[in-house]
Amino acid sequence: MPLSLVYYAKEFLRGEWARKFLAAKTAPLEIPPYFRNYPELTGKTCTHHLFCMMACPAPGAIDVISTPEGWKPRIHIGHCIRCGLCVEACPNGVLSSGRILESMFYDNTRLSFSFRIDVDQTKCMGCGNCAVACPVNKLIDAQMSHGGRASTDDLLLKVSEGKCKVLHVEKCTGCKTCEHHCPNEAIRVARLLEAVHAPEEDI
Amino acid sequence: MTMLQSLKNFVRSKSIHVAYVDVGSCNGCDIEVLACLAPRYDIEQYGIFVHNNPREADVLLVIGAYTPGWEEKLKGLWEKIPDPKAAIAIGNCPISGCLFARPHTLVDPPVAKHIPIAVQVPGCPPRPTEILSAILSVAPTVFKDYEVRK
Ligand code: SF4
Ligand code: SF4
Ligand code: SF4
Repeated sequence: MPLSLVYYAKEFLRGEWARKFLAAKTAPLEIPPYFRNYPELTGKTCTHHLFCMMACPAPGAIDVISTPEGWKPRIHIGHCIRCGLCVEACPNGVLSSGRILESMFYDNTRLSFSFRIDVDQTKCMGCGNCAVACPVNKLIDAQMSHGGRASTDDLLLKVSEGKCKVLHVEKCTGCKTCEHHCPNEAIRVARLLEAVHAPEEDI
Repeated sequence: MTMLQSLKNFVRSKSIHVAYVDVGSCNGCDIEVLACLAPRYDIEQYGIFVHNNPREADVLLVIGAYTPGWEEKLKGLWEKIPDPKAAIAIGNCPISGCLFARPHTLVDPPVAKHIPIAVQVPGCPPRPTEILSAILSVAPTVFKDYEVRK
């Protein structure tokens, strides 16, 4: 009996054992350097293309603001889901996060945008707000009257026979101005994001 | 506060009970909270015990964007937790509604409108490390002056 007590004490009063028993054993409370965290500014010049905002899937996560030093993207923590799409979409490498820029460089990939416009013909009332609001239309026909009727077929979209018709979807820049001006939620702009393998000279 | 009282507060802050509630999430954050329990992160080695009994809890983890089904219920649950208590919002959902905060959405974020939130852990989902450090950072403040307040 006394022998076993001595043995017990000898075993458990070792400093090393006591430390291991009482202190936390794993040390996970650090974030690895390759973690894709909130995008950070690299210091490169932003040209206000807004591709970051278009690519962003989270409402209210990113905006591009005008500062005395020029345009600057701003990430809103609490909205941003750290997907890294803005980093990939930016043509100038203004943002960086984790190893996204490096792997884009080595894989020679980039994101390309295209846009699709859907008009729900049962909801469309033919008011023409979309066609009048569209900034692309404004460049083609500055005289466009309210109601969205026009004579030229170069327009991106116009109203004919009481319904909105999309004529040249390839001219769309994806701004969604029409969507915000439609009183009946009849027009929808889809932004199609595609990862493409870029030709050598593109990057 | 006497020496004994501060010692009691200190010891209490080393033994935190955590309950979590999902008020309508995509389950991403729930999985990260569960990852905290797994051996890789092992939340219990810090003296944090996770169970699902609000009557025993000190810290409530709120996950999700607050769907209509939680009206009344979340508040009642919060009131069941004995003082002292703190609520931590896990993920973007309770902070902003995350991807669900779209026009015509049914969710009603932020959760801070409904119960007081002490700490917010942004991310979709946040890393288990971030959840762990958030719980560890509120642990000392929950019981800070409990002995004198009591
Ligand atoms: S990382 Fe994703 S969610 Fe965050 S700002 Fe960029 S695109 Fe939006
Ligand atoms: S999203 Fe396209 S169609 Fe709509 S207003 Fe902008 S450029 Fe015009
Ligand atoms: S914050 Fe993201 S991962 Fe967490 S519940 Fe919300 S949508 Fe899911």
